[in-house]
Amino acid sequence: MVTKTKGIGDLFKEIIDKGLCTVCGACVGDCPYVVFYRGKIRMLDFCNRTEGHCYEYCPRTFTDLDAISNKIHGTSYTGDEIGTVKEVLMARAGDSKTRAKAQYGGTVSALLSLALDNGVIDAAILSKNTDDKLPSGFVARSSAQVLEGAGSNYMAYPALEALNGMPRDSKDRLGIVVTPCQAIALAKMKVSPPSQRVSMENVRLSIGLFCTWALAYDRFFEFIKNNVSPAKIKKFDIPPPPANRFDFYIGKEVESFPLDEIRNYRMSTCAYCLDMTAEFTDISVGSVEGIEGWNTVIVRTQQGMDIVEEAKKKGVLEIKELPAQNLVHLKDAALIKKARAVQAIVERTGDKNDLMYLGISDNLKGKLLSHRVTAQGGH
Amino acid sequence: MPNIDMDAPGSNQLFIGNEAMARGALEAGIGFASAYPGTPSSEILGSLSEVAKKRDIYVEWSVNEKVAIEAGAAASFAGVRALVAMKMNGLNTVIDFLSTITLSGIGKKGIVVMVGDDPSAHSSSNETDSRPVSKWLDIPLVEPGDFQEAKDMMPFLYGISEEFGTISIMRSVTRIAHARGNIKLGEIPKIAHKARFEQYLDPAAPMPTPIMCVPSSFRHMFQHMRMDKVREKFESCSFNRYVGPDKPDLLIITAGSGWLYSQDAVNALKAENRIGILKLGTLWPLPEKLIKTHLSKADKVIFIEETDPFLEGVIMEYTAGFSPESKRNLFYGKHTRHLNSFGELTPDAVIKAITSVLDIKYAPRDAEYMKKVEAVPQGHVMDRLLTFCPGCPHRASFWAIKNALAMDGRNGFVTGDIGCYTMALGPAGFFQTRTHQCMGAGAGLANGFGQLSRFGFNQPVVSVVGDSTFYHSIIPALVNGVHNHSNFTLVILDNGATAMTGFQPHPGTELTAMGEPAAQISMENICRAIGARVEICDPFDLKDTTRTILDLVEQDQGARVAIMRRTCELVRQKKEKKPYKMQIDPDKCLGEDCGCNRLCTRVFRCPGLIWDAAAGKTRIDEVICTACGVCADICPEGAITKEAIA
Repeated sequence: MVTKTKGIGDLFKEIIDKGLCTVCGACVGDCPYVVFYRGKIRMLDFCNRTEGHCYEYCPRTFTDLDAISNKIHGTSYTGDEIGTVKEVLMARAGDSKTRAKAQYGGTVSALLSLALDNGVIDAAILSKNTDDKLPSGFVARSSAQVLEGAGSNYMAYPALEALNGMPRDSKDRLGIVVTPCQAIALAKMKVSPPSQRVSMENVRLSIGLFCTWALAYDRFFEFIKNNVSPAKIKKFDIPPPPANRFDFYIGKEVESFPLDEIRNYRMSTCAYCLDMTAEFTDISVGSVEGIEGWNTVIVRTQQGMDIVEEAKKKGVLEIKELPAQNLVHLKDAALIKKARAVQAIVERTGDKNDLMYLGISDNLKGKLLSHRVTAQGGH
Repeated sequence: MPNIDMDAPGSNQLFIGNEAMARGALEAGIGFASAYPGTPSSEILGSLSEVAKKRDIYVEWSVNEKVAIEAGAAASFAGVRALVAMKMNGLNTVIDFLSTITLSGIGKKGIVVMVGDDPSAHSSSNETDSRPVSKWLDIPLVEPGDFQEAKDMMPFLYGISEEFGTISIMRSVTRIAHARGNIKLGEIPKIAHKARFEQYLDPAAPMPTPIMCVPSSFRHMFQHMRMDKVREKFESCSFNRYVGPDKPDLLIITAGSGWLYSQDAVNALKAENRIGILKLGTLWPLPEKLIKTHLSKADKVIFIEETDPFLEGVIMEYTAGFSPESKRNLFYGKHTRHLNSFGELTPDAVIKAITSVLDIKYAPRDAEYMKKVEAVPQGHVMDRLLTFCPGCPHRASFWAIKNALAMDGRNGFVTGDIGCYTMALGPAGFFQTRTHQCMGAGAGLANGFGQLSRFGFNQPVVSVVGDSTFYHSIIPALVNGVHNHSNFTLVILDNGATAMTGFQPHPGTELTAMGEPAAQISMENICRAIGARVEICDPFDLKDTTRTILDLVEQDQGARVAIMRRTCELVRQKKEKKPYKMQIDPDKCLGEDCGCNRLCTRVFRCPGLIWDAAAGKTRIDEVICTACGVCADICPEGAITKEAIA
């Protein structure tokens, strides 16, 4: 376990070159030395510093989950399956057009549009695909732009690069859509705010996306090129279990591949992630097992509560109770991810006292190490 | 620069060695001169080109040395005296032609190859000694020992060339070529050159008589006979002379700059009555009898010569064949480690060798002298990096190449070539260049690397060449690459000049060496005709250039070309004013903080940017900044700004 903040050389040596990078983008966009290119973090020059934000904010360098939890939720890290929760519910966008563009229920797009319209935020950072189907972070300033970012392609992308790219003196209040690893990096930035970047105080709303793993762009894009025409893909989808499929929507046709085949293109680092539901955000959103066109929504903070209440009042969101059985399944899946991560870490380090980046209590560690995990699953 | 064709016979003038040689060629009545530039030979043709029109001679910067010597030979074949100049690297590329013209012989008029060697490789990729070429190819070779000889040897050598019908070589070294000395001028003859290629030796002969190297063995024998006659002639040549006592304790045998250093050494040691110096000017074939005479007068002999032990080897070889009654000498030199067979000679090295052989104590200065010398400029002289000029397009080109290869991430690398951009081996080009050989070798190497994928090789290869180099020796490599589907990217840094050697014209530029409009050869048309994909970009547009290189590199198939077109800054600033007003906003400059850490002065390192350590900010050096504006695009904080000057 290493707590020291180091420099860019160490970041590459310890994390990126070892296949542990999540491509969250926390190290990109802030300085001229590190760039994101075609799914990879690249170093253009050696910056020669022994300490840097790039190393400090990386979600795979030492991460004190208590410190993060205290900053975001005002409590120490409990290790509960789906993190700190105010309310769990089921929602979808009131507007059918938003739903049509969205991956599932359109809840994320609807909430961001509302926040922009209400003036809660001035800009939203989310992702959209380039021509090569490479997702990258971008800044949306209107509902129409928000819809450009709707939908997922399941590939790791550097959302935080767009945040780091905001002008240092920007007064824009920001909303941001993040995956769990990005949420952790963002939380680390909030715990120890950077001096030379846009103020973390500007980040007013973070919406997390459920995630079991993400695909590595470079390898997955090779697969796409060899099997499907990239330019013609309209949408990517992993239907909820037990489908076990990965679907490419090409025009009105759907081309399906076994999910097990696609799993080969996972980011290797995802095996060491213990967060399925993006616990360090204001609101987390995912699909609902067995109920098409709706989202599972976990409200975690007062800011999250406020915007969801407002959405409900204005009809921006249709809200229902999440069936009890779904919540049980969700928690089971989230716990399995936690247990698998800690077990994979110990397997990698070969030492129960060396959890790589993970700063958790011994109690939680013991619990997760002894939890029996079933065959591979997820998504 | 002095006027090398001044009409003042008998007057003394201060010329650099190269100008003296050019003057000598004029006094020899040449009508034709061709060369490819290369230090330390470039000023010969450069100074001749200035007077070419007035003197009614033809002067040409040729595409490469091989074409230059063949063109010069044609003039000789047609009855016009020709001079061909090159550096030793060039001589290496013309060996094949030399090996046939020694057999075929020349035309009615002489041809002299002037080759400039560069001991210590001050401005070269190597320090090859050209003299051995004369031995293995049977070519007369002379070497001037001072500036007067640099001039006087030229008419003499044309005489040899014509009397014996053989091409001849004059070798000089950097310290003769580039140092300045007094010479007494001779007369420049007025010659109305008449060129005609006589195809029949005798108008009545039934068959034409080609100039040819067959039957080779017969002609080889004939050349040896010619060389024996040349040797006889050299025995009494005044360029070989002896100074010193009749029976010296030590005989120095020397040539070229070694002659100057030997005189200095004997003088410094006040050993004029102990040491004799046999100074040789005709180095091949050697005047054996003269040498034997002097060897018989001394027991100890030391050889003082630049680079290789050429005289040392040949003369020791001769003595092995001397009769048993001959005097047996003790020989000193490079084989006894009294002198190095690498690096330049210096008067100090010569003194050290002599004092060691004669066991003389000599301390020219106290032991601390060098330390004191080094201390004097401390604080008064800025540390200077071996780097590109401020505003040089190459810095921007290599910045883009560096970033493109880093983004590609497959450990790509640059195979280098010969030009200013050779400095990309170091910080000037961000250490991008990973191979450095001779002209054209970078593209040749890229051809080979580009065929290794079958053995698991997957690194992108970028061959970086200059525009003059492209015409000189890259075209065949590109033909080979396209034809054989080799996988590499050729980057041509087209700055419109042969910049490193002094802005000589090349086939892509507007004017000939005579100052007349040239037919400009389009490099992109050549590359496209060969069948390569060609992209042209402005290196000052870093974004576009980086994207273009990445796109070419990622193509990962076939030989493809990027032309980075931007005029050499030293050429541009002679014609145009500064394009921008450059400023740095100290409030925005991050300095050494995280997020920058002096990218501009630590990595980019244009000499126009200064790190103000006290303020912790970067400043612009108003004196040398050329306002190219590139650093404004590199600054991550937008602290450096460029404002167009109307």
